[in-house]
Amino acid sequence: MSGSGGTPEPIARLVEQFHRLPGIGPKSAQRLAYHILRVGDDEAQALANAVLEVKRRIRLCSVCCYITEHDPCNYCSDERRDRSVVCVVEQALDISAIERSGGYRGLYHVLHGVLNPMDGVGPEDLRFRELLARVQDGGVQEVIMATNPSLEGEATAMYAAKLLGPLGVRVTRLARGLPSGADLEYADDVTLLRALEGRQAV
Amino acid sequence: MSRESRAYRTEGIVLRRRNIGEADSIFVVFGEERGKFEGVARGIRKARSRMRGHLEPLTFSRFLMARGRNLDVFTQAETVRSFPNVAADLDRWATASYLLELVDRFTVEHAPNRDLFHLLYASLESLDGGSAADLVPRYFELHVLALTGFDVYLDGCAACGGRLPPENTLVAAAAGGLVCRQCRPEAGTGRLLSVPAIKVLRHARRASLPEFVALRVPGAVVEELRAALGDFVRYHLERELGTARFVEELRASGSITAQNADT
Repeated sequence: MSGSGGTPEPIARLVEQFHRLPGIGPKSAQRLAYHILRVGDDEAQALANAVLEVKRRIRLCSVCCYITEHDPCNYCSDERRDRSVVCVVEQALDISAIERSGGYRGLYHVLHGVLNPMDGVGPEDLRFRELLARVQDGGVQEVIMATNPSLEGEATAMYAAKLLGPLGVRVTRLARGLPSGADLEYADDVTLLRALEGRQAV
Repeated sequence: MSRESRAYRTEGIVLRRRNIGEADSIFVVFGEERGKFEGVARGIRKARSRMRGHLEPLTFSRFLMARGRNLDVFTQAETVRSFPNVAADLDRWATASYLLELVDRFTVEHAPNRDLFHLLYASLESLDGGSAADLVPRYFELHVLALTGFDVYLDGCAACGGRLPPENTLVAAAAGGLVCRQCRPEAGTGRLLSVPAIKVLRHARRASLPEFVALRVPGAVVEELRAALGDFVRYHLERELGTARFVEELRASGSITAQNADT
């Protein structure tokens, strides 16, 4: 079967594959496909290999569900980290953000999503089972819920508190308030309220 | 299109969000004037977005919109009413999400339904004010069905119109309501409702929401209503709602407090 409008089938197939990627529209997909057509063989091979390697070599850490090549992951096997604190994030990328801040030396746990019943995401679709197992194994004294301050993130944090509370572990939530560089007049009531509650001496 | 009509003002309750691209989201809003509509908010997922917090599911906000080629664009948003107690309680949040999904599923775009809007607003307000988290959704289900053309017939037999004696009576979604003994064979599947459950349902039809949630209803009766109304919702939507399943899961894990315990 040939592609639409006489496009050779392999190109049509590549366009189609690019189009499936997040944030890639039909035009970008075409541009990328025609770019691949122009590059040298080794460059194309390198891309193909990189894609395959990532699928072959990367898996989820059996402890924290972070993406890793070695199990357990670098964070989980780092002896200098504080093992009594676990910071729970929505997605693997959030760990880089927290690491960049330089203010955290504990362990992590990746949920791979937030509760969103409207879109059919319930607790069983997230990595709560693994989190529960970690806390049950002992040694964890505090679980920091670092899910986004959205409605779904808050609900996920509440769910975690309900799940882990009975085990005697301290469940905390990242503070909410005004981001640096913000305008007071544009802040919503809830954020302002939280900022007032969490005010500190100057 | 004239220049003046490029931007317009409107308001409504945000039903749901869908993220697209790097930092944009599409929001589905249910408004009194416009019914259900969609719009895109650019850059809203960035920490410095000025609309962030004003455009969240479960808030009633006022918007300035600009007409776009495909989707209209949210250019400004300001919260009119948020429901902080709902957002701060997992059970109430789950229940409110269920109400939002019901509205989303039972409506089509650009079809105003003022009564439904008022019902949703009043129900969220009631949940926020601490009303029984298991009575509000029952009232809501019965009325959302009625307001979208799927009224549950309670005043006689839905099949033959005959009078119903005060006894356990079949309620069947396919028949559209209560069914007398003679009509049962043709009514399709359903379940038997007790006399108290039927009375509570009839009361819910006539009463205002505040009147209804002030009622003390035994847990077993609430359970009957939940099952029966759930049948109707599933029958008409032809699907199981994700939010309903979530509410159910929370309930099963013993989180929903005993009925009326917090009033």
